[in-house]
Amino acid sequence: MSTLIDCHEISLAIGNKTLIENISFTVNKGDYLCILGPNGAGKSSLLKSLMGILPVSQGELVINNKSISDYSQKQLSQLISYVPQASGRQLPFTVLDFVKMARYPFHSALSDWQPADQQALEDAFDITNTGQFCERQMSTLSGGECQRVMIAAALCQQSPVLLLDEPTSFLDPHHQVEVHRLIQTLNHQHQITIIEVSHDLNHASQHSKQILALKEGQTLWQGAANNFLEANRLRALYDQDFVFIDHPQTGAKIALPDEQS
Amino acid sequence: MKPSVSLVLISIVSVLVVFVSPMLGLDMEVSAEIQQRIMNEIRIPRVLFAFVAGSGLALCGMVFQAMFHNPLATPFTLGVASGASLGAAIYVSLGLSFSFLGINGTSFAAFSGALLAISIVYGISRFRQGFSTETLLLTGVAISFFFSSLILFTQYLSNVTDSFRILRWLMGELSIVGYRDLMQLLPIVTICIAVIIWLSRELNLLMAGDDIAISRGVAVKQVRYILFFSTSMCVGAIVALCGPIGFIGMMVPHICRLIIGTDHRWLIPASIMFGGGFLVVCDTIARLIIAPAEIPVGVITTLLGGPFFLWLLIRSRSKTA
Repeated sequence: MSTLIDCHEISLAIGNKTLIENISFTVNKGDYLCILGPNGAGKSSLLKSLMGILPVSQGELVINNKSISDYSQKQLSQLISYVPQASGRQLPFTVLDFVKMARYPFHSALSDWQPADQQALEDAFDITNTGQFCERQMSTLSGGECQRVMIAAALCQQSPVLLLDEPTSFLDPHHQVEVHRLIQTLNHQHQITIIEVSHDLNHASQHSKQILALKEGQTLWQGAANNFLEANRLRALYDQDFVFIDHPQTGAKIALPDEQS
Repeated sequence: MKPSVSLVLISIVSVLVVFVSPMLGLDMEVSAEIQQRIMNEIRIPRVLFAFVAGSGLALCGMVFQAMFHNPLATPFTLGVASGASLGAAIYVSLGLSFSFLGINGTSFAAFSGALLAISIVYGISRFRQGFSTETLLLTGVAISFFFSSLILFTQYLSNVTDSFRILRWLMGELSIVGYRDLMQLLPIVTICIAVIIWLSRELNLLMAGDDIAISRGVAVKQVRYILFFSTSMCVGAIVALCGPIGFIGMMVPHICRLIIGTDHRWLIPASIMFGGGFLVVCDTIARLIIAPAEIPVGVITTLLGGPFFLWLLIRSRSKTA
């Protein structure tokens, strides 16, 4: 397996405030990494530094065997795409215009829309099943529809790595499942490497491959996802006691907040 | 309506305005020959000048609104125009006079002031992380006040003639004569338009927010600096020649957006045409309303713009509430 992203002891600070400190991890092609942790742990900041939105202040961030600082933003966005936290419904575009704009890194100011662009656009609509929203304004979509369109736009960028920042927060259970299934499809069938920031520990432990648990900007635990759910670890991470049961259908271990603590 | 159709309609109206405006208010008692001379030497250059200035102001407003995702963010509300005014006022009161590459020294002074203002405003609003448009707008207002008082101070120190010149010019006037001023302005506005057209895709992405723009591959910082530089140049040149004509940069692009949508490939030409036509109309009103005397065109645009600003403010408040 080839290493796509290699983070070596990276830190990230803004002014005097350290957001993340000494974090190391590697992501291979086809991986599915979930970043967990309480609010303010630095999860989103870490994701943003992978996208070049926030600069790494220390350590080395190597993407595809090349330091992130050696990439132009356009080159980087051909390798990595990003779905930010729910904000899509404030965008003043139609769905079609918004998704089409994701072809930016493949164009210069003068180049025309190519058959390859059209193919990427149609594929993105097909995979996410969002083609029917084409003509709609982003502001008229429901939360679940909007999240699928945001993913479609990122897919239209055709990058091998997809970053998602809490893609299912604010969604109802049905749409949470729908978006999670979509992400799994991308990972399994389309070999897209996923890095997801999440608060859904059961989803992460069942469906992702690796977990990186952050607390106050530092790594609390990292390892294979199916080893993650463990009482002491969760208490240390969230300052909350958990109990465990088995999923009646799959037998997978499920964590529930301890009602007696 | 399709954007292309709207753009054609806007263009037709604007061109009509440019053709009709010089004919209005001609003195019928003078001879045909004098009428012809007034037409060729005063009216036509003035209308063309108004059109170019209006286009430039509207376009710079459009760029700021797109960069900061807020219709209230324009070169005027962010203090760029007061910076330009201060630069030009200092130039006049110091009695300086030079030119470079055929471009008047006032333009350079105004350009420097504009660049200074946007650097301060942008620098301050980025100083603390968590850059917000509110901070940006409030900083802009504060800088505007600060620069306005410096302008008053400059004016106070000047002699009576210069002081009146500065005052008159601060109101925004277009009573220019001949093609000389037009030729000063045209190249700068043209360069600015070219840069903005070149960056129209980046502007579209900037409307989606910085994070999304960066993740799509836009080098946001560089694009922003290029846009700051070229709009400062454009606003500086316009302010140097005809004073800070307010509110066009706010009203025109916003109305265009309502008519034509948010795609800058359509919005840019629409703002150019509408902005040009709009300033020509305002100037015609300023010229005719108390003829044979004239009122400064800035008074007209500000009278229209003030209520428009309030309307936008109330509307955006009720939207967020």
